[in-house]
Amino acid sequence: MSLRKHAWASAMALWVVAAACAGHAEGERVVAAGDIPRWPGQWEVDGATPAPSGGYVESFEATLREMKAWGPPPYTPQARRIFDLVAKQVREASGHYFRTGLAAQPIARPRCSFGFPALMLHSPLMFEILATPEETALIFSAREIRHVYTDGRPHTAPEDLFPTIWGDSIGHWEGQALVIETIGVSGIERMAAPGIVAIGGDSNALFELIALFSPHTRYVERIRMVDPDHLENQMTIIDPRVFTKPWQITRRYSRVKTLNRMIHEDCEGEDRNPIVDGQYSLAPPPPPPPRLPPPFEDPPGAIDTRNPVALENRD
Amino acid sequence: MTRNKTGNTAATFSACVGAAAVCLGSAASAHHSFAMFDPQKELTLRGVVKEFRWTNPHVFIELLASDGEGSAQADWSIEMTSPEHLARAGWKPRTLKAGDKVTLVIHPLRDGKRGGQYVSGTGIDGAPIGSDLKRVANSATRSGK
Repeated sequence: MSLRKHAWASAMALWVVAAACAGHAEGERVVAAGDIPRWPGQWEVDGATPAPSGGYVESFEATLREMKAWGPPPYTPQARRIFDLVAKQVREASGHYFRTGLAAQPIARPRCSFGFPALMLHSPLMFEILATPEETALIFSAREIRHVYTDGRPHTAPEDLFPTIWGDSIGHWEGQALVIETIGVSGIERMAAPGIVAIGGDSNALFELIALFSPHTRYVERIRMVDPDHLENQMTIIDPRVFTKPWQITRRYSRVKTLNRMIHEDCEGEDRNPIVDGQYSLAPPPPPPPRLPPPFEDPPGAIDTRNPVALENRD
Repeated sequence: MTRNKTGNTAATFSACVGAAAVCLGSAASAHHSFAMFDPQKELTLRGVVKEFRWTNPHVFIELLASDGEGSAQADWSIEMTSPEHLARAGWKPRTLKAGDKVTLVIHPLRDGKRGGQYVSGTGIDGAPIGSDLKRVANSATRSGK
């Protein structure tokens, strides 16, 4: 079945599931917990492993290459002209900033949200997938969470829907694949003008724009495990207002093998390069305050509970 | 689809053209900009770690070093990425400690001050720092349907 047919079949299936689940008795699970796949562990977008240097220099160039290989979205001629113009302006503006080191504009506080669909396409954040019969949560290391409701509820009613950076997601399981439909996605100022959803990436040199979407865009994802260490996301992006046909792209995720748990990416932490006289400066965070003495002292002869050998040998 | 809706969306796109460039220009600002470093230049520092500051949002190596071009020993601040990203790359809070002798390659600050962006580094044994990466062998994290 082609990706396009998959997307439309999935959209139809969402309605079928919604209708079927409307008759579920209270407390009854939509599907048995044992019938849905388990994808434990941590995952990262293929090619988006950050380099120790920061700035995603090497990894982001690899990610950009993969995104460029999709080719441009099938824009209508009018939308294509606008995209080309924005992409050119972004390229020139970011090139200027990166060449000169000048700040584009002062920013009140750091912003670290990627939002959907960037989280699934080029974010450098690792994530976990917690699946239950009624909801699947995709939890990212900088504390962004996608909530995908699989209990048969419909989308928020159009008259009540307002765009957010994660959008409004519902889904269902088709065998071993999780199918997610997301609407009501807003852009984030960090990535583009408000209301416009942009995907792209920057290295040390340039910001490259890959696509712009409107708040009316609908996204259908089909996520499945292709081998024990890889997930695949077939994403179909639908917006008849600016696309001549659905845009189909595929992204893969790799298992993180260097860690066995999430680590908080405290992206909202201290600003380590404040803007001074219009230029970035480097300001390492201050040293931590002196450590306080432990509130509880071990009594003489106590077993050190932090020492597994001592615990093992206790009487 | 109607002509009106198409026009509205196109208008929305158009209205954002000017703003988009400005906003995208700031995409890497706040604490995620590396614009103050010169990516075209590389500088090699040889020195001793004063502090390995494993802190959010980014990790720093505070180094007492000379630049190998006859400069006197001085304090340098070398910036890396976040602890989460470094941990995924196999680094740990104990990968470096005060007193370690290292050679670091950096992209220096454009303004000539003593700071830079970490590019690569080797220890006293010549091995790349962070290369003692150990994969987590935890079968519990494997998939199991």
